[in-house]
Amino acid sequence: MREVVTVQVGGFANFVGSHFWNFQDELLGLADDPGADPVFRNAALDMDALYRAGETQQGVATYCPRLVSVGSRGSLGSLSSSGTLGSSSAAAGHPNILTWSGNVTKSVAKPHDRNLFLQSLSEEEQNTSSSNDRSNAKKSVEDKDLVESLENGVKFWTDYSKVQYHPQSLYELYGSWTNFDKFDNYGTAREVVSEWSQMEELNERLRFFVEECDHIQGIQFIVDDSGGFSSVAAQYLENIADDYTNTPVLLYCVRDPVSHGSSRNQRETIIRTLHDAVSFSKLASSCNLMVPIGQPSLSYLSPLLSIKDEKYFYSSAIFAAAIHSLSVPFRLQHVGPSSELAHSSGNLDIGELMHMLSDQGRQNMVTALDVAMPAPSLTDRTDLRNIQRSLLCLTPEISDEDEDPYAVESLVFHGALGAGGQRASISQVKDTVCSALEGRATKPKFSHLSVSPCPLPVPLPFPSIFSSSIGQHGEILSNDHAEGTRRKGSLDVVSVPMAARLRSSNAIVPFIERRSTSLQRLGMARGALGSQVLRDWGFGREEVEDMGEHLAKMLRPFYPEMDLTSDSD
Amino acid sequence: MSLRVLNPNAEVLNKSAALHMNINAAKGLQDVLKTNLGPKGTIKMLVGGAGDLKLTKDGNTLLKEMQIQNPTAIMIARTAVAQDDTSGDGTTSTVLFIGELMKQSERCIDEGTHPRFLVDGFDVAKRATLEFLEKFKTPVVIGDEPDRDTLKMIARTTLRTKLYEGLADQLTDIVVNAVLCIRRPEEPIDLFMVEIMHMRHKFDVDTRLVEGLVLDHGSRHPDMKRRAENCYILTCNVSLEYEKSEINAGFFYSNAEQREKMVAAERRQVDERVKRIIELKNKVCAGGDKNFVVINQKGIDPPSLDLLARAGIIALRRAKRRNMERLVLACGGEAVNSVDDLTEDCLGWAGLVYEHVLGEEKYTFVENVKNPRSCTILIKGPNDHTIAQIKDAVRDGLRSVKNTVEDEAVVLGAGAFEVAAKKHLIDNVKKTVKGRAQLGVEAFADALLVIPKTLAENSGLDTQDVIVSLQNEHDRGLVVGLNHHSGEPIDPQMEGIFDNYSVKRQIINSGPIIASQLLLVDEVIRAGRNMRKPT
Repeated sequence: MREVVTVQVGGFANFVGSHFWNFQDELLGLADDPGADPVFRNAALDMDALYRAGETQQGVATYCPRLVSVGSRGSLGSLSSSGTLGSSSAAAGHPNILTWSGNVTKSVAKPHDRNLFLQSLSEEEQNTSSSNDRSNAKKSVEDKDLVESLENGVKFWTDYSKVQYHPQSLYELYGSWTNFDKFDNYGTAREVVSEWSQMEELNERLRFFVEECDHIQGIQFIVDDSGGFSSVAAQYLENIADDYTNTPVLLYCVRDPVSHGSSRNQRETIIRTLHDAVSFSKLASSCNLMVPIGQPSLSYLSPLLSIKDEKYFYSSAIFAAAIHSLSVPFRLQHVGPSSELAHSSGNLDIGELMHMLSDQGRQNMVTALDVAMPAPSLTDRTDLRNIQRSLLCLTPEISDEDEDPYAVESLVFHGALGAGGQRASISQVKDTVCSALEGRATKPKFSHLSVSPCPLPVPLPFPSIFSSSIGQHGEILSNDHAEGTRRKGSLDVVSVPMAARLRSSNAIVPFIERRSTSLQRLGMARGALGSQVLRDWGFGREEVEDMGEHLAKMLRPFYPEMDLTSDSD
Repeated sequence: MSLRVLNPNAEVLNKSAALHMNINAAKGLQDVLKTNLGPKGTIKMLVGGAGDLKLTKDGNTLLKEMQIQNPTAIMIARTAVAQDDTSGDGTTSTVLFIGELMKQSERCIDEGTHPRFLVDGFDVAKRATLEFLEKFKTPVVIGDEPDRDTLKMIARTTLRTKLYEGLADQLTDIVVNAVLCIRRPEEPIDLFMVEIMHMRHKFDVDTRLVEGLVLDHGSRHPDMKRRAENCYILTCNVSLEYEKSEINAGFFYSNAEQREKMVAAERRQVDERVKRIIELKNKVCAGGDKNFVVINQKGIDPPSLDLLARAGIIALRRAKRRNMERLVLACGGEAVNSVDDLTEDCLGWAGLVYEHVLGEEKYTFVENVKNPRSCTILIKGPNDHTIAQIKDAVRDGLRSVKNTVEDEAVVLGAGAFEVAAKKHLIDNVKKTVKGRAQLGVEAFADALLVIPKTLAENSGLDTQDVIVSLQNEHDRGLVVGLNHHSGEPIDPQMEGIFDNYSVKRQIINSGPIIASQLLLVDEVIRAGRNMRKPT
């Protein structure tokens, strides 16, 4: 077993993470459920890679995500920062103050209401201890209400989380006078980052989880890089690189569609552009592989999905599904050649993935993410490009052309359906993908395939983002079947086959180039408009030049001819 | 107004409105923190939206917890917190002093005085008060062997304002001993060398000082000893885990034996390092009841742990970076970065190493060390908010002792200094100032009395009675402070109530500066971003 530690930094990253852990929780539940699809029970997914076993001080065994989540003060909603396992909430009613014998003033903030879903969760917890038999008919009605309440009223990421977190997992940043509403660019986090004790606490939290790992395979880091949190993350990553030198870090930069919103005036545009450039440069410099995620609009991504851009609850779901798919190979058990056919193939750990994508061919560590949700079934063997076409790109600002002979890619396909809605076997999937690869005009230099029979389970608190033409197991129904416009959610769709691909190719060039040129133009050129902004953020002239240099260096592998000119100076 | 032409959305507050906005903000903040001050103050219990608790009596913590929106209040709060950063205490006093300066000024301004005169007066009064403080302070001889009693008195004064007396007195000894433990002559005191560790266990009175170190993790091997005496301590930063080489190399093998060989070869490097450590252990521990403990900053993987356990070594992995420094100070020896040149000189020594398990949390105690230069304050308490509050108090206590050692002086507390300074300003300084700046000096002098007044108020005493009797005593030439139990004047020297010199100086320095700035504001313009935009 090789452990993965997950870190989530920032508002939207926690939204994504919450969905991600819901998937894991669902998988855990299904594996124990005798009534569930046997594929979940037999799936060779090793959950210990992401979870840790422990016990509370009262001796109750726990199984919690190996996670450090960082958010702003007050972003946890009704969840206490000591997690659900802490016993402090019970005493909150009438606490006795042991440390002071004098007067007491009590000031109580208005408690956050727990929504219907959270209420039912805590009820369920109490019920399982007393009695197990409950009428199923009554439950299904309830489920509908629960889904509806989530559809309309998700404010915090904890509102739809059904996972128990470890007391060390959740951390709220307090910025003394930083208004977290205005926490929207790299400079705003200066006060937070410079406060020594907070960063120290973050390092401690991570150390707690890393210390107990025997063979840590890597750190999976999700950051919301649209605001000041990218500065917090950059500092955090730097510390990680110092403390855990040889531990690979896989960084997902997630952005919600709302944050791409148009800015009102020129100054704001400059700040936004510089923020993008600076945070990209800073984050990229201390991780091993970077995956920017976040299209400006997800509404038209696919006819099979309908995602409301303005709702975090919706947009984070698809990103979480993609991250889940990518994490599947990290958890596949290494099996001998004899059993390979039955279980899975292509296990890969984070280090190997990085090595494959970023060290071969070009030295490029920024990759694009494509996802097919749901992945098409493998019935139509004549249309070999089906899979290829169904992969939708989640990385913004990349070029469409896919004709790079030096490309390296890693494809994960799990829960594929074959003809007639049967689960396709591993070899079937392999054959199809291989022949699809043959059919491409320009083949990538290297392509890795990981396959698992286990599809993405759809947990109850999952938004209704599927269109009506998706069946119960994520199969794509023919159009005449139901032409309703009703969106389908967790009540109608049980599981979804998924395919996700990381691709290191020249498609990413525009993404890097834009940041590089904007830093040149706004920050470094003589009399640049943004140089004052950068100075306010605490960057000296030299530091800005270093960042520019770093960005230029990232572009170099794509333009071999540039090497000649840059070597001369 | 010209600004309106440029930006029709701009909001402008003119002269008196602007001034009153500032004054009201300062008074508002003062009202919030007023009840905090002194050993009879009120503790604040904050309950968050998710039911989480926070207890505090510290102005600094409270200011950080309050989500202050008013820009003036933010300016004052920042000054107060900066006060805490530089001198470790006095946040509440700073806010009270600024608020009182503004309140006194308001009276003068309403009677028609221009703020400029007041500001000039403040300046004179500030300089005079600082000079007076130099004369008033009680020097403390630190030397090689500092007077423990003086340090205890000052720590107790601080701690009693944060915790109930019994606990405060217990902590007094702890913080004084901690600071004296890490103090080296001729070197600045680095409080980071006092580790503050907490355990949610037992009661607040079980808090103690560990001469040595407490680590928040244990060994990760079932066969390692849980308790060992007479231990050599190896502090190192060496990776003892197998890492894949940078070059992509696959395994190619045709039979099991060959594969074994390959794996063994890959591991050899790590094993080599482990063997070096074992060799050293065998050398130093030969024939005796001595033990060997390895504390590593990097990881140690199970095969290495296995080897170490078989050799009878206790090994801890992934120690905190700062603990590496502390370990060396506590146990001696040096932190090694490679196992190539291991000698006995690199090793530290501890009389006792043992593990304490609480649920899934493990603690390793390294105790009975020789000549420690680093120590640990182990805070215990039944719940998180109690621990957090004790922790804050301990920090303040440590700072106050450190300040005393560095200042080599203390100031009489219980309001004695403020009353004496007021008398000095009125009797001697006011006459030397010409014109209306006298009003500024007077306002400053009155504002100083806010400390004894608030102390009296919080103790439920009659403020005027107390002030009058204190001033009478001072007029008779006696330096007295306030007894918060009876309201009678007392001699703070006898009672052992002392404040930090640097804290007082800082308050007198920064208070008038910010108050002057706020008084001289005659227009508030709010333009550009709409601050009141509903979010």
